[in-house]
Amino acid sequence: MRLLNWKTSLLIAGLLWPGCPVFAADAVPELSYKLTRIEPPVAAPDFSLTDMDGATHRLSDYRGKVVLVNFWATWCPPCRKEMPSMERLYQRFRERPFMVLAINQWETVDHVFSYTGDLNVFPTFPILFDSESRVSADFGVRGLPTSFIVDAGGHIVYKAVGGREFDHPEVVQLIGELLP
Amino acid sequence: MRCIAAIRSLDYIARMKRLTGLLSLCLLLPAVRAASVVEEVNPQSGLSRWHTGDQDFSLELIQLVPDFVRAVFDSKGLPPQIIDAVSSYCVFGTIVRNRADVPLSYDIADWRYVTADGVAHTGKLKSEWVSEWRDMGVAFRWTLLPGAQTWQVGDWGQGFTTVDLPHGTAFDLHYSWTQDGIVHKDIIEGLRCAPAELEN
Repeated sequence: MRLLNWKTSLLIAGLLWPGCPVFAADAVPELSYKLTRIEPPVAAPDFSLTDMDGATHRLSDYRGKVVLVNFWATWCPPCRKEMPSMERLYQRFRERPFMVLAINQWETVDHVFSYTGDLNVFPTFPILFDSESRVSADFGVRGLPTSFIVDAGGHIVYKAVGGREFDHPEVVQLIGELLP
Repeated sequence: MRCIAAIRSLDYIARMKRLTGLLSLCLLLPAVRAASVVEEVNPQSGLSRWHTGDQDFSLELIQLVPDFVRAVFDSKGLPPQIIDAVSSYCVFGTIVRNRADVPLSYDIADWRYVTADGVAHTGKLKSEWVSEWRDMGVAFRWTLLPGAQTWQVGDWGQGFTTVDLPHGTAFDLHYSWTQDGIVHKDIIEGLRCAPAELEN
């Protein structure tokens, strides 16, 4: 097996070690904050996925709450960049009928657990595992990250393709107005 | 021509004083046009990335060496056939972004990679790769940039784009996007596929 030279090894280590995204992080543009209104709202596909502790979460369990459904992976630089803002948003509305569900694509619990341990802002919302990308297909997700805001009635009312600053005042206001 | 006419219209003294400035301006004009695309070199890796700045449809291309591509796909647990196939291509980390205040769309199938011999090559689309992988029983469909998308305000994406060119090949990228029903076309000149290996 051919040995990699030190520059290539450094480069690969930089990208693949989630806590140290040397090259990839350089390439991440600033996060946007515009969400696209879905008119008319469409029913969100229900799903049943397990979290890191093996507990099952169904989207329909959260009917009556506004839910931020986020599709992501650890190797996706904008996904990593937006995650702290999701946690800040979650904390901001923690006492309100609001939930964040971060649905990981194609990765193992061990890998994601290791990744979250390296984060400066530890996500306290549920991280779910869509290991065969079936739920993302149901939502029509074509690239990561993609996020949806589901209203209290279970309808998708906003969509965002690409990384977002979820605690931007405009997003906070928009979600605040959706809360029952 | 305008520059030459301007130089001739000056009297001798003014001509001598301003000649250098005008010539500099004339020489800079092509550079200003080229400067709409900025190339940056990563001092650690020596790899380049090009970006178009703040256009409504902004495009950024980052050279990726084969070993890097191999490592990315290997980390997903994909079979060697897939890893070998993708890493044999010229691969760019690609970031595209809607900076306009209206929706826009792109279709990489319309883009052309024009090499020095004048041949216009088409990229291999994500849909083509995913179809091949599906035939192999692999459901993986991430990492590659979707070939065609319509983006709303603020939307953007990041992923690999691929073209079947030898590593190190130089080419011009003729790309396009659609905004308000109008097809916009642009060219990024002097792009290069990443080398087969990084220098030590």
